[in-house]
Amino acid sequence: MASDTLTFPTRAQVEAVSGLEPQWLRDRRLEALEESAALALPMSKTTRFADAAFVQAGAAPSAPEVQAADVPAGVILMDLREALGEHPDLLQPHLLTVLERKNLLHAQHAALTAGGIFCYVPKDMELTGPLRATLNFTGDAYYAPHVLFLAGPRSRCDLIVELVGEDGTSPAINGAVEVVAEEGAQVRYIEFQRLPGKAQGHWPRRATVGRNASLTWILNDIGARLQVADTRTDLIGDGAESRVLATFFGGRRQHFDFRHVAVHVGQHTASDTQARGVLQGRARAVYNANTVIRPHAIGTSGWQHEHTLMLSETARADLVPELEIDEWDVKAGHAASAGPVDPMQLYFMMARGIPEVEARRLIVYGFLSSLLDSIPLAEVRERIAQLFHEKVEV
Amino acid sequence: MARPTLEIRELRVGIDGREIVKGLDLTVRGGEVHAIMGPNGTGKSTLASALMGHPTYEVLGGTATLDGENLLEMGVDERARAGLFLAMQYPAEISGVSTANFLRTAVNARRGESDPMPVLKFHRQLKEKMERLSIDPAFAERYVNEGFSGGEKKRNEILQMSILQPRIAILDEIDSGLDIDAVKIVAQGVNDMLSEDFGVLIITHYQRILNYIRPTNVHVMMQGRIVRSGGPELAEQLEARGYEWLREELGIEEPLSQEA
Ligand SMILES: Nc1ncnc2c1ncn2[C@@H]1O[C@H](COP(=O)(O)OP(=O)(O)OP(=O)(O)O)[C@@H](O)[C@H]1O
Ligand SMILES: [Mg+2]
Repeated sequence: MASDTLTFPTRAQVEAVSGLEPQWLRDRRLEALEESAALALPMSKTTRFADAAFVQAGAAPSAPEVQAADVPAGVILMDLREALGEHPDLLQPHLLTVLERKNLLHAQHAALTAGGIFCYVPKDMELTGPLRATLNFTGDAYYAPHVLFLAGPRSRCDLIVELVGEDGTSPAINGAVEVVAEEGAQVRYIEFQRLPGKAQGHWPRRATVGRNASLTWILNDIGARLQVADTRTDLIGDGAESRVLATFFGGRRQHFDFRHVAVHVGQHTASDTQARGVLQGRARAVYNANTVIRPHAIGTSGWQHEHTLMLSETARADLVPELEIDEWDVKAGHAASAGPVDPMQLYFMMARGIPEVEARRLIVYGFLSSLLDSIPLAEVRERIAQLFHEKVEV
Repeated sequence: MARPTLEIRELRVGIDGREIVKGLDLTVRGGEVHAIMGPNGTGKSTLASALMGHPTYEVLGGTATLDGENLLEMGVDERARAGLFLAMQYPAEISGVSTANFLRTAVNARRGESDPMPVLKFHRQLKEKMERLSIDPAFAERYVNEGFSGGEKKRNEILQMSILQPRIAILDEIDSGLDIDAVKIVAQGVNDMLSEDFGVLIITHYQRILNYIRPTNVHVMMQGRIVRSGGPELAEQLEARGYEWLREELGIEEPLSQEA
């Protein structure tokens, strides 16, 4: 689709959003606006971007409500708008620099971004419990929130982000997440996407991982009518590691379009992607994973495992694992599958007196268990199991 | 509760439009042990599966009641909760779900939401029953039937029966694939439950298990019907002489020529 038919955003809208914020950010917005003229929507055979509510929103963006739990001294966790006033020097080197501008949605986000979460953990700080923040999309508005998570050198920290909204509303969201894990940091970014059933979201996540640092993405998608989320981790430093532990559960007419990419740049880097999805009703999931191994990234390992369990015959899954290898000294591979519930398992369980819905819940739980076992945080494991339990319908 | 009664009248069952069970009558009451024997492919498992409500078997006619309630109108899970148990010839495997978790869910489904069994009490009971059946306690945490040997699966079926305490149990070839000691253990599991409140229908090819579980009634099934009923001596007679004499006596042709 040619972008000249898109008239959003206008320069006046960008300037209005920018308001009194630092000049460097206004410059970044205007630069993104200029670039947007030459950018198109993502190409997709499976997801109709042109119809999505987050593309041609027209209106200026609203900012979601941010709830942030208390944090230890030295750590910052707050609404990104406040952070721009209080800590501009911390944000300036990173904000909107990790997310590339490859398509129109990226540029629109950069031009209009409004509100979100800023999280900063200073160097050498080891946190024992997770940091928590919630983005609450309170109405039918258009949103362009941003999550910026900076983990200083050798820090250890977990951030749990919840995306929620009010039942019955239909927020249109074009957001982004940027994570920077500096040298030696050990970071987990955990996200629960529980948006209301009519929400539509575009939600790229980007990270750079420094030397000997490790980043684990624990992603759980349950909500939204349409959710497009692509996660890209650049393993820049030597010895950098990343892991994706993704779970999703779609029902009714939900449409998920997920992509996970690990880009191996440094030497002796490792990535591992595990995804388990459940679909029921007329839900559809498009799932793409790619491991990119750049020249000279020797000693790399990159693995992908994605499996989808279909609880109904009308659900649909498209799984597309890929590998792009420009270096020979690597270990990489992928496995993908999508299969229905085994009716003999259901029969067997029901023959023991277990009602069908409970039997399905047990099968779903069993399907998730190997992935859940890989999640080191008990509360996160239990939460995912509970969310899946509640979602099963007969 | 009164003594359980499973009553089957003129039952006809088909698969893919082909009639397999062709008008079968049988009554099993609490305190009784019935054995059904019969050549391969005569419809023994079909009968058991249809009573449990297996989705691929179609009831074409007749009735089946448990304590006067129409089984054929109930869902599979309702039949189980009404007190029917089927130890399956080929029990399913459930990856990722521990045997303990599975059994606790089953126990609580029977007790209802308002009255779940306390977790510790359940585990104590499970441990006792596993000991009684000489099952390694580690099996409680293994995934249901996954990687179990044939004999281990059968023992696990009896474990489920003894935990769930059904009123009527149908055991479909519970003895096949069991070593001699395991046959005794499984028989003990059944005998432990025998009382006025529990009746059992054993489908078997071998006399051996009937040495440990004394049947009150023995039936021979051929070509979808019970063709002869008697006492324990009938099983011994079959063990010694096979089915041919009975076919001749009844004027029944070989099954293969009939199906051709
Ligand atoms: N699911 C099925 N699909 C197709 N045919 C079936 C199915 N189940 C049973 N049959 C057929 O029905 C007939 C009776 O089978 P059934 O399993 O009831 O026999 P059985 O008496 O239990 O035999 P065995 O002693 O070998 O266990 C056989 O011809 C069998 O092939
Ligand atoms: Mg059989």
